[in-house]
Amino acid sequence: MNITHAKSTSPIIEISRLTKGFGTGRRKNQAVDNLSITIARGEVFGFLGPNGAGKSTTIKLLLGFLKPDSGSLGILGKIVGQDEFRQRIGYLSEFPFFYDHLTARETLRLSGRLSGMSKQAINQRIPMLLERMNLLNAADRRVGGFSKGMKQRLGMANALVHDPEVLIFDEPMSGLDPVGRHQIKKLIIELKQDGKTIFFSSHILSDIEALCDRIGIINKGVLLYSGGLEEFLAAGVGLEERFVSLIEEGNRASVA
Amino acid sequence: MQALRNIWFLALATCTEGVRHRALWAIVCLAVLLTMANLGVTTLYSWDLGKVSVEFGLSAVAFTGLLLVFFLGMKILADDLERSRIFMLLSRPVSIWQYLTGKFLGLAMILLLATIILGISAALSMQYVLWQYPVYVPPDFSWLTYLMALVCQYMSLVVVLAVSVLCFSFASQPFVALLLAVSSYLVGQNMELLRRVVVENPYAGALTGQKNLVIALSWLFPNLSLFDKKYVAAYGMAFSSQEFLLLCLYGVSYSVLLIFLATLLFKRKELA
Repeated sequence: MNITHAKSTSPIIEISRLTKGFGTGRRKNQAVDNLSITIARGEVFGFLGPNGAGKSTTIKLLLGFLKPDSGSLGILGKIVGQDEFRQRIGYLSEFPFFYDHLTARETLRLSGRLSGMSKQAINQRIPMLLERMNLLNAADRRVGGFSKGMKQRLGMANALVHDPEVLIFDEPMSGLDPVGRHQIKKLIIELKQDGKTIFFSSHILSDIEALCDRIGIINKGVLLYSGGLEEFLAAGVGLEERFVSLIEEGNRASVA
Repeated sequence: MQALRNIWFLALATCTEGVRHRALWAIVCLAVLLTMANLGVTTLYSWDLGKVSVEFGLSAVAFTGLLLVFFLGMKILADDLERSRIFMLLSRPVSIWQYLTGKFLGLAMILLLATIILGISAALSMQYVLWQYPVYVPPDFSWLTYLMALVCQYMSLVVVLAVSVLCFSFASQPFVALLLAVSSYLVGQNMELLRRVVVENPYAGALTGQKNLVIALSWLFPNLSLFDKKYVAAYGMAFSSQEFLLLCLYGVSYSVLLIFLATLLFKRKELA
């Protein structure tokens, strides 16, 4: 383990030589291969890659849902899998599912209570979050009847309920209509202004371009690029063109 | 302290989810109808009407409880994994043991609620039969014994629930977990009988000479037949409070042990 307990200048997220495979023997699928990323405080980091590139696996490893084959992960100076850090992070999964028979308010209350918040703090925060997510009218409706967009917005409120320092979003805009996407984008910009550190995965290039300070591009588990967005686009070509050519280069290299 | 709070919040959420589920009320309605059918079924017999009525009522509670454990309980558990709901919970400072204990207690609370409703429903139908046919009321029939038998029935369901949580913690598919849980229930119901046949009978067929194996298995599987006090309640037989407390202690400690094992196994599971 090369992650030490943090000083204030330490990276907020540090992934070092991370490797993870599924299956065994010939059927082993290397989902993440020797991946290293660091993300500084207050940064918005976009994790970009085609479907099946290893983005969600990396996020699940970061949250401790999966165990790495090798390498180390750290958040806020804590070692993933050893130290407790989850009260300081907010997570939105690609497909946010909730208890169908709980209301939006009850769902947020459960998450707040599990994050160690007091009843009073939760009661103050929930209406504010529901209003911010345009869910105030649906606060006492059961989540099972929510549309995909409403669930995604509830998922966002759920990630923010305990006002965490670090936010990890897995495809936060997936399946949303343009209005929903705009709302989430606006929210991410506001969160950035509040000084939150945001790590989010996406394969929607325009979102990445609009929101991120730095990006990481992953394909077949291998990190092809990690650095500033401006440097990536320095050659004057568009993000889509540059991204596609990098993925094709990566594919050719892996075949060779 | 936060650990206990987390367990309580998870239990409460699980119980609320279950109580609002249509399946629960469909099963409970079926059971209430079953206990009411007691009135019709009992009159088909020409003797021991009181015994038939009590046994039928408690059997309806047992049958419904099993439906709740195997269908509603395991569905709620499986949905957490299949629909990735577990990520919403485990991205909070909640440990695996708190998660499983909270789920288990929440489902046990649903079972308790169902047992109370069905117990009252069964008692009402029994009261009617006993009132209609006073000559068939067993001489030592006691409502206290009925209540103790009902609690034993509930403890048996709690143990089956703990077995289901254990199966869920290591099985790769919810269907496999369900099959394992049902099989364990069947073995648990008959283990004591099998043990007695093999231990006390030198001509036990294929199991002759396998006394140690059968004894070992009888320690491994829950002895669910111990909790079956229908006969005792129906005949108003003696049921000491000491035996009752020991049974409850057995049920609780066996369940705690299974949840502990489930935690160890679940920790090894990858939540892909």
